[in-house]
Amino acid sequence: MAEVTFREANKRYRRAFVPVMVVYTIAVFGGSYLLKQFETPPTWLAAIVALIMAAPVGGVLWLMWRLSRETDEYTRQQQMAAMAAGGMITAFFSVVWGFLELYNVVPSLWTFLVGPIFFLSYGLIYCVSRRSFGAGFEK
Amino acid sequence: MINTLRELRAERGWSQGDLADALGVSRQSINALETGKFDPSLPLAFRIARLFGKGIEDIFDDGLGHMKKAAE
Repeated sequence: MAEVTFREANKRYRRAFVPVMVVYTIAVFGGSYLLKQFETPPTWLAAIVALIMAAPVGGVLWLMWRLSRETDEYTRQQQMAAMAAGGMITAFFSVVWGFLELYNVVPSLWTFLVGPIFFLSYGLIYCVSRRSFGAGFEK
Repeated sequence: MINTLRELRAERGWSQGDLADALGVSRQSINALETGKFDPSLPLAFRIARLFGKGIEDIFDDGLGHMKKAAE
């Protein structure tokens, strides 16, 4: 693991995050535009477009992993705890929804939503933990 | 774990941000350390001790020091 300070690690994250998001935006809009040119897009093309759209999300996850390795130990602990909690919330939500779906109580959930549910729960928990542990800062 | 980080920092007139920069960690880390919400790893404890020119045990106390002294 490279020895970088907290500030440097965050700078490296932000520097890489922006281009990845630009690629994601281009892939989503460009891919959608491309597929709309066909009445019925070929499966192979649809698959390639879908994978290209998903690749930057994998990039963001890798950046999050790298940041957690490079940041200071306290922030790493907070991030890992929030990621674990986010993962558990997502898993529990999926199981509850799955059982409800099994007995036709709720409609089938779009698998695509699992990612946003994880990121949302991870983000919220991380913000709450930062707020509660970050109270009482001295300038 | 109890520590004297806040006192040592105050003696030098440093802010939490100054200490965080000197150690290469976040200000949240310093706050968590000072309030006893977070115990540092051994490498970080050494870095803190070196920065203040003290021994680790002069800064951090796990509350069992008195037991050691009693045994001696």
